[in-house]
Amino acid sequence: MTGGAWLCLLAPLAGTIAILLAGTRIPRQAAGWISTASVFAAFGGAVWAFFSLRAQSGHDGEITTAWTWLESGSFSAGLQLLVDPLSSLMMLIVSGVGALIVLYSIGYMHGDEEERRYFAYMSLFVFSMLLLVEGGNLLLLLVGWGLVGLSSYLLIGFWHERPTAIQAAKKAFVMNAFGDATMALALFVLIAHSGSLSFATSFATAGHLSQTTVDLVALGLLGGAAAKSAQIPLHTWLPDAMEGPTPVSALIHAATMVTAGVYLIARTHPIFEQARTIELIAAGTGALTLVVAGLVALVQTDIKRVIAYSTMSQIGYMFLGAGVGAYANGMFHLMTHAFFKALLFMAAGAVIHALAGEQDIRQMRGVGALMPFTKWCFLAGALALVGVPPFSGFFSKDSIVAATLGLGWYGWIFWACGVAGAFLTGVYTFRLWFLVFPGEPSELVRRAFGSHEAGDEQDAEPRGHGSEPHHDGEGPWTMLLPIGILAVLATVAGWLQWSPKWHPFTTWLEPAARTLAIAEPTSTQEYVTSAVTVAAGLAGIAVAWAMYAGGRIAVPGAPAVRRALEHKLYFDELYDAVFFRPAAALANWTRTEFEEPAVLQTGPDLGQTALDAGGLVRRLQTGLLRTYVFFLASGAAVIAVVFLLVR
Amino acid sequence: MTGPGIVWYLGVAAFLFGTGALGVLLRRNVLIVLLSLEIMLNGANLALIAFSRHVHNGAGQIFALSVMAVAAAEVCVGLGLVVALHRRRLDLDVDALSELRG
Repeated sequence: MTGGAWLCLLAPLAGTIAILLAGTRIPRQAAGWISTASVFAAFGGAVWAFFSLRAQSGHDGEITTAWTWLESGSFSAGLQLLVDPLSSLMMLIVSGVGALIVLYSIGYMHGDEEERRYFAYMSLFVFSMLLLVEGGNLLLLLVGWGLVGLSSYLLIGFWHERPTAIQAAKKAFVMNAFGDATMALALFVLIAHSGSLSFATSFATAGHLSQTTVDLVALGLLGGAAAKSAQIPLHTWLPDAMEGPTPVSALIHAATMVTAGVYLIARTHPIFEQARTIELIAAGTGALTLVVAGLVALVQTDIKRVIAYSTMSQIGYMFLGAGVGAYANGMFHLMTHAFFKALLFMAAGAVIHALAGEQDIRQMRGVGALMPFTKWCFLAGALALVGVPPFSGFFSKDSIVAATLGLGWYGWIFWACGVAGAFLTGVYTFRLWFLVFPGEPSELVRRAFGSHEAGDEQDAEPRGHGSEPHHDGEGPWTMLLPIGILAVLATVAGWLQWSPKWHPFTTWLEPAARTLAIAEPTSTQEYVTSAVTVAAGLAGIAVAWAMYAGGRIAVPGAPAVRRALEHKLYFDELYDAVFFRPAAALANWTRTEFEEPAVLQTGPDLGQTALDAGGLVRRLQTGLLRTYVFFLASGAAVIAVVFLLVR
Repeated sequence: MTGPGIVWYLGVAAFLFGTGALGVLLRRNVLIVLLSLEIMLNGANLALIAFSRHVHNGAGQIFALSVMAVAAAEVCVGLGLVVALHRRRLDLDVDALSELRG
């Protein structure tokens, strides 16, 4: 069992190291295959760990310690891996979806100048996430947490010649560093009180701490989770992160990174259960985010940004589920979301690839006629996202919404947010669908596929904007195969669990994260919620059809609302005004009021004095070996004499 | 135990060390400087072994063996540098190599 876990963790790291060491000695494509093989090997390890865990009676998991990594007084932390139902599930998702995304990248990144660097980072990203989910104590979890932030920074800024990409990478890193800091503070408090960061000890200690302390710890953990998972108010990095290559977006949104926050809450749920207020704040954050992100997604015009906001919204559902105590439901949605969100990103990537980098959905009408395979796969993903039965989103999303009903009056608010979110999901998803896929191909689309339609053989006309011409309609098989596999998974993965009738998934997770009794709705509540949510989703689809395809109702004008949404509700402007401007003003003020009059214009000229002193000392450096040896020998002699005299 | 007392050994060791140190300080040929360094090390080794015998403790001899191993490695690096200097047609004179003057 632990062998599988080690294989799963170390294979991607080995892939990174191999690519880095091989350097230019291997062809660019070989790097992609090494990376793919390493992540598939990790998936093999995850499957191995999963089945041996299943074979174990009670399957409540096992911690394996390689060696004591860090020791300081009574505190010690080992290099430990934890294999339990929760981590083995995450291992399967991270490595499985990750492997498909890396395979897809081979086709997508073909011809890029720096493929080797790209694939080294991709393997590193998967390794970091696996370390995060497999870490057997909170310290290793924090290490993985930081490494995920680092590799996302490297990948978002992969196209380093674009200033916007660099800015987006910096923004993601700073936002995440804020979360890392609050999480580290929470761990310090835990160490101070329990003297240990092992899961068992710190969870046991959490029960004996004062309410304020537990609240602080939980709040710190929640800060980390919200930053990593892009929840309000730490969400502004996620849409900007679309500056990275599309498979990177797929990896960040589906398999790694943003799901880490949900995993953290499920993993440390004993702490959150002691701090029930903070747990409900997490749920409230999720509910708020899912509605706000859904609203903003309505007006975005970049195909990747629409999907990015939909990720924020779906992670909001997961936070809601984990926050009310339905950990298994949150994790189930995490899994189905990984499938359909990776699918949506990869299908969008295929469209962008075919259109040579165009991302504006207003230019894309009618792509579906020329890319039928991508079109139908995207439709499967979109239906799963909206939660139309029998697609997977239906099974996972509805159970989260139903689980909020046990909480009293604020449960009803969460429930209403969930239903409103389902409606918004229907509208923005199918706005995207109707604008991009059906209909007459637009000018741009016809030009991109020009030679295929005309049927001329020579294919001489250069197409695209700097990207190399595409000789096949939809892309190479390395891109289509992962899309196809994920389309199947996005359709059927939900059948694993339908909470009113069968729930093997919840049972499986029980040893690691037992669902709270308060979050177990009755069957009636489940059925009614399902009906209402599906109706809301279908209504959303109908509205999108009427606005963007049927032309039955005009797109509402409401310029003020539209402008606010297009500015993403002014969060960026707010942070600029609250954090950046005062800091810049303070710095300016100290310069003009203090530094210039008090330091530069009075007293001795500090700079010149330092230069003069340096000029004097410089003479000692003669460059002659004998001088240095002389100083060395006389120094040793002086020390020897002093030593003898003192004795 | 017969043979001269420890003072004689230490005298010889100090003489070797002093000779080596003067050589490092005064000679200009890189090869001679390296050679003088080795003489200094041998002086130190001799002192170590002499004390080892004097106090009936083997540790000093082990030290001397380690010093020899390190000295061998150091000579490899030193001679490598000499060869590199020669290949670049530079003067093998330590006073001529004063690029690092401040």
